[in-house]
Amino acid sequence: MKLSLTRACCRSYTFPIFRKPSSVLPRAIFHQSLSSSSSSSLKPKTPLFLRPPKHSATFSDLKKWHDWANTLAYEVGSSFADSDNGPDSSILCRELKWLLEDSLEDNSLIPHLGIENNPNSVKLRIALDELYGLWKERIEKRKPFQYLVGCEHWRDLVLCVEEGVFIPRPETELIVDLVNEVVRDNEQLRNGIWVDLGTGSGAIAVGIGRILGSKGKVIAVDLNPLAATVAAFNAHRYGLQDVIEIQQGSWFETLKGFEGKLSGVLSNPPYIPSDDICGLQSEVGKHEPILALDGGLDGMDDLLHLCNGAASMLKPGGFFTFETNGEKQCKFLVDYLENDCSGSFCNVSIVSDFAGIQRFVTGFRRAL
Amino acid sequence: MSSFILKRSRNSSSFLFQNPSNKSATLNSSQPNNLIYSSQNHTVFHSGFSTFLLNNMKNPSSSYSTLSRRMHRNLKDMILASGFSVLSVRSPSGSNEVVVFPRGCGLFGTWAAVEPSTSDGLTVDGIVANNWAILDESESDWKSHAAAIAQSIQVIKRRLQWKKLKVRLNLLSAELNKPDLWDDPVHAGKISREHGSLMGKVKEVKAFEQELLEHIDMIKLAREENDTDLESESLQALLSMRRNSKERELEALLSGEQDPCSCYIEVQAGAGGTESMDWASMVMQMYKSWAQRRGYVVTLMDEMPGEIAGIKRATIKVDGEYAFGYAKAEVGAHRLVRISPFDSSKRRHTSFAAVAVIPMLGDGSTRVQINESDLRIERFRAGGAGGQHVNTTESAVRIVHIPTGVTATCQNERSQHQNKASAMAVLQSRLDQLEMARQAQMNAQHTQSLTEISWGNQIRTYVLHPYRMVKDLRTNYEVSDPDSVLEGDLDGFILSYLSASLDKDEDGQ
Repeated sequence: MKLSLTRACCRSYTFPIFRKPSSVLPRAIFHQSLSSSSSSSLKPKTPLFLRPPKHSATFSDLKKWHDWANTLAYEVGSSFADSDNGPDSSILCRELKWLLEDSLEDNSLIPHLGIENNPNSVKLRIALDELYGLWKERIEKRKPFQYLVGCEHWRDLVLCVEEGVFIPRPETELIVDLVNEVVRDNEQLRNGIWVDLGTGSGAIAVGIGRILGSKGKVIAVDLNPLAATVAAFNAHRYGLQDVIEIQQGSWFETLKGFEGKLSGVLSNPPYIPSDDICGLQSEVGKHEPILALDGGLDGMDDLLHLCNGAASMLKPGGFFTFETNGEKQCKFLVDYLENDCSGSFCNVSIVSDFAGIQRFVTGFRRAL
Repeated sequence: MSSFILKRSRNSSSFLFQNPSNKSATLNSSQPNNLIYSSQNHTVFHSGFSTFLLNNMKNPSSSYSTLSRRMHRNLKDMILASGFSVLSVRSPSGSNEVVVFPRGCGLFGTWAAVEPSTSDGLTVDGIVANNWAILDESESDWKSHAAAIAQSIQVIKRRLQWKKLKVRLNLLSAELNKPDLWDDPVHAGKISREHGSLMGKVKEVKAFEQELLEHIDMIKLAREENDTDLESESLQALLSMRRNSKERELEALLSGEQDPCSCYIEVQAGAGGTESMDWASMVMQMYKSWAQRRGYVVTLMDEMPGEIAGIKRATIKVDGEYAFGYAKAEVGAHRLVRISPFDSSKRRHTSFAAVAVIPMLGDGSTRVQINESDLRIERFRAGGAGGQHVNTTESAVRIVHIPTGVTATCQNERSQHQNKASAMAVLQSRLDQLEMARQAQMNAQHTQSLTEISWGNQIRTYVLHPYRMVKDLRTNYEVSDPDSVLEGDLDGFILSYLSASLDKDEDGQ
């Protein structure tokens, strides 16, 4: 693994230097990152589905848990959805099914759960009492499902995630499709250097790492050392350790020497306006790293920084895509890229996500 | 229907006579099985007769015994493969005559063949016509075995729609003979695949028929020569054929082109609110259990739950051999009569659920080409700002095929990408099905989509009150234990429908 944690170990953590001073410090999460990185032995947690099945329970005990968990899920009704657009019972029930799938060694046994008083036992990747604890956290604490199972299914990938690392969103899957369209007929870009800034779990990096050509490289950067380790783990799991280089740092900071050389700049930066943070859905606001969410007063701090950086870092003909908060940010950025970047870009356009929300700004570095 | 039949007889020279057009003859498909055996190697034979054939033609006086049965069979196949018709006739003098004439200029039009028979002229239809008593398998009576097997062969032929099969095979052969066939390789591939598959079925039945007749010959021979070993050996062979024949009858039920495919099963609740939505979910559960019993892999693709209970509609994928072949028997409206648990005044309710079944065509079939630009992909149940604001495991997408308005949704996968891929597969199958229905009406009854199934197309009634019964309105097949049916014990209904519908089709000829 090409994870270089040297920076993590030797630099003094003065985040405000590369973070806007206004940003709220994500308390617990920040603390965790710092303390674990200082030991330089950051190890990502193994997601549930990859753990050895060293626990066991009888069918009837497992069924008892399942019935209990189901009841909790049903009792939620639409209360979460009504209060902060959270999950309703049907979504929770589906999550319960997936939790069971990830916990069981042999998924084909699931139908046997319906049989009353089945005395046979079944192998589990997690102890039964831990399952009780997990589901309680899901319902009572609104802990995201992905942190329960330690993974997120994203595109055709299963990415390891854990508390402190932003969970990749379905919308972001489209960035890989956008890149795919661009590199399909452009061998030069396909074999160039791409960067994924604020990579988090490494989703975009792994996604495009698999579609680039044999000479193509991805540099995945994240400020959060835990995210960097998780991204490295995910890259390794997909055999991309020679394609993806993980760096810990802020945006373009570590990329000195690549000015005018990058084939692509991709990012899903924090873009939520600071004022909106406190009203977020509990799963997001209470559990996910605010570092990955808060984009400053109007949510544009990092996006503007990325636009400026892309102008100097991309090579002529290089491609960029940034995810945004929606129509307002998209329109602002298009205007900014076309009028305030001294003609650096061309073919700037807006791409909507599947919900019809204008989500991405894309474009190319103008050829000189 | 009048047709000609040619029989070879020990005591008479060849003669043609009109098949007595009595009822039983029609039903038992005793029309001549005058099939053209055309195969890929027809071009070889086009240039002329095979030397094997010519040698034997030059030597018509060779005795029947030297013209062995093997040769007889091979010869027939070979000649027929060439597009020539042959009549192999044994004259009273014991000499063998082979008459060959080119296809299309004989009395038999484009098809002619000899019905296989034993050395003394007994055919499969002849055996059935003899009405030999069919005794228990344990009785060592060759006539009983032979009669049972012969009956099975007739059932198999009926189920394979033997007459339609012949017509189709002739059409395909004619098509294959066209010199410009391979100018359109896709079409040619389709034709030759279908031809090969039909040919395979015909050959299998023919071989089974021939085997029966050979064993009968052997038994007669053994008796003439008092060879008890040979007799009991042949008797054993007949017995194992008899056991095997039931299985073949079943297989013949599923001889449609799409029958081996996996499929989607869709259930939609009729009018009537919660009671009918509950019924729809019971029906869906019935199919899930049925599929699991059969060893199929069931995946929920899409489900729209009812507000209080049940489902408005749902789609499952049923993966496994012959899933479509069986499930297609379930297409239509299913009616439930019971005291509704959702009715506080305990009244009796009647509700409906519609069932549609869509085959998932294999790679070999022609698929509809879907143009990316014709698609609109939307996030299902989208709300709010999305993106980083929302953490949801709900990533269902709906794909709309704009030109046809056909849509597909999948919400059961764990990523949006996978939901999209699954929804695309459903959409592809729906469009394929539309195309199939457009191209051919032969399968129209099985290829209706949910929206096209009229609620009047009721196929089965499930009564839980005031009495208990499930009855199929198409076949009148009924059982008095609705619970077992709702737990997925559907095979009785399915098999009776499949055999009844094939029998009906054949009678309608």
